[in-house]
Amino acid sequence: MSEPSNSGVGYRVPGAGSDRRLAYLLVAPTVAVLVALSIYPLIHVVTLSLQVTSGGASRWSLGNFARLFSDHFFLAALGHTLVYAACALTLEFFLGLGLAVLMNNQLRGRSLFRAALLVPMMLPTVVAGVVWRLMLNPNFGAVNGTLRSWGLNTAALTWTSSPRLAMLSIVAVDVWQWTPFMFLILLAGLQAIPQEPYEAACMDGSSAWQTFRHVTLPLLKPAILVALLLRTMDLLRVFDQVFILTEGGPGFATETISLYIYRTAFRFSDFGYAAAMSFVLLIVTNIVSAFYIRVLQAREA
Amino acid sequence: MINLRPLLRYPLVALATLVALAPVYWMLTISLKHEVDQFAVPPLWFSFTPTLEHYRDAFLTRNFGHYLITSTIVAVCSTFCALVIGTLGAYALARFQMPRRLDRKLSLWILSTRMFPPIVTAVPLFLMMRDLGLLNTRASLVILYTGFNLPFVVWMMRGFFLEVPRELEEAAMVDGDSRLGALRRVLLPLVAPGLAATAVFCLIISWNEFLFALVLTQTDAAMTLPVGIAGRVTQYEIKWGVMSAAGVVAMVPILIFALAVQKYLVRGLSLGAVKG
Repeated sequence: MSEPSNSGVGYRVPGAGSDRRLAYLLVAPTVAVLVALSIYPLIHVVTLSLQVTSGGASRWSLGNFARLFSDHFFLAALGHTLVYAACALTLEFFLGLGLAVLMNNQLRGRSLFRAALLVPMMLPTVVAGVVWRLMLNPNFGAVNGTLRSWGLNTAALTWTSSPRLAMLSIVAVDVWQWTPFMFLILLAGLQAIPQEPYEAACMDGSSAWQTFRHVTLPLLKPAILVALLLRTMDLLRVFDQVFILTEGGPGFATETISLYIYRTAFRFSDFGYAAAMSFVLLIVTNIVSAFYIRVLQAREA
Repeated sequence: MINLRPLLRYPLVALATLVALAPVYWMLTISLKHEVDQFAVPPLWFSFTPTLEHYRDAFLTRNFGHYLITSTIVAVCSTFCALVIGTLGAYALARFQMPRRLDRKLSLWILSTRMFPPIVTAVPLFLMMRDLGLLNTRASLVILYTGFNLPFVVWMMRGFFLEVPRELEEAAMVDGDSRLGALRRVLLPLVAPGLAATAVFCLIISWNEFLFALVLTQTDAAMTLPVGIAGRVTQYEIKWGVMSAAGVVAMVPILIFALAVQKYLVRGLSLGAVKG
């Protein structure tokens, strides 16, 4: 997991001065593209969010941010996003860890199982949405159809169009699609753990649970951290699957932040307000990504 | 390790596999069923007469063939651009020391641009493309996906470059190669598998991307496959067979690609943080 260090011994070949110029020249296109497509838009988001348009004229104001606090849609969307992220993250983590531990042992046909388990994660999110629209359709979907063939009454199980079950449905679909991600990262982490600590634990007569608790978990911590942080960032920005499955409905019961920003900007053309919400979302995900980058940095150092 | 008896392990793993694959298989069957069979209760998992009518309907009668072409062009062009620009940048960051550890700082800054939620930049990028007159063009998506994939390419390729000992290039340079000559003749062949894997990842990311495609392309001439599919899902009357057929076609190339890069999957998904 470590990389050969880049620092230390200076790298001197004839013409080091022109080398440096070459380095800047090579990295310049990357920087230029990212400034145009990431940094400039970010600055634009901030300036947009600080302007209020009324009657064709726009002026500087904090009005967009003030509006956030009294906007029920925004607060509800924030709540939905947090509930969605917390539930999905918890379920995906424990299921993924369980599967990873299960598959870490000798298992015939392991690579085949592993490949099969990865299928949901690789699907385009839109296709995953289509798959579950079909599965969860109350009338002819496979889920209700199967339940009915077992003699259960499914009249109340309208899944994505039920105010009560819609959130559960979209969380379930996320868990279906992204548990493989946790599984994959954690399995890689498990396989990177050397044998010696286990042998030592075995000599000490540790029970299986003690070994897992005191040997496996601490050594798996870096992989766990990576998996949790990456998933958290993705969950906080969730858009595609929810857009396909419920469009934020029924009513607004499953509208997440990203969906509300989309609705504000591209249905109501209220770009200033959408920018203010984007800014809030950016701050929240930035906190998570700052952690992630710190983890990476620690790994490289 | 936890000593679950194999008797218990196999059923659990089999169950997980079933849960992962059954829904996808269900979509596949819907795409191949006549409409009567689609609505059968109890659901028909295996016994139905297959038909290709929905595929014909989607790709010949409707516009899905066109969306497919758009998706392919956009994915290939943006991958190519990101690879060319990003590999050179990665090389510079992996091989040169800049003053005040600027190389490290630049690398992390490049990575951090990848962490923004896409919806955050959707509004300004939409306005930018509108002002440039690029709404509803493939070019707008090629440009955006290039930018989107660039941090990924830089970070992956930098990792691959760092794994190759410098001495190999130095030897070539002592033999009279220029720097870029050594890059081309010595380094690139050595990282070719990594480069290929990175390219496949970029293709997958571009092919799957939905939000920007939705925001920027609303005409049949410019929309990608995911947007075309989504447009049909959210319509009042849904043609399930057509949807599923389009879904299967959108999925198959990605699954083949993913199998091809399995070895690098962990590394790609964690942006190099975990090397599987």
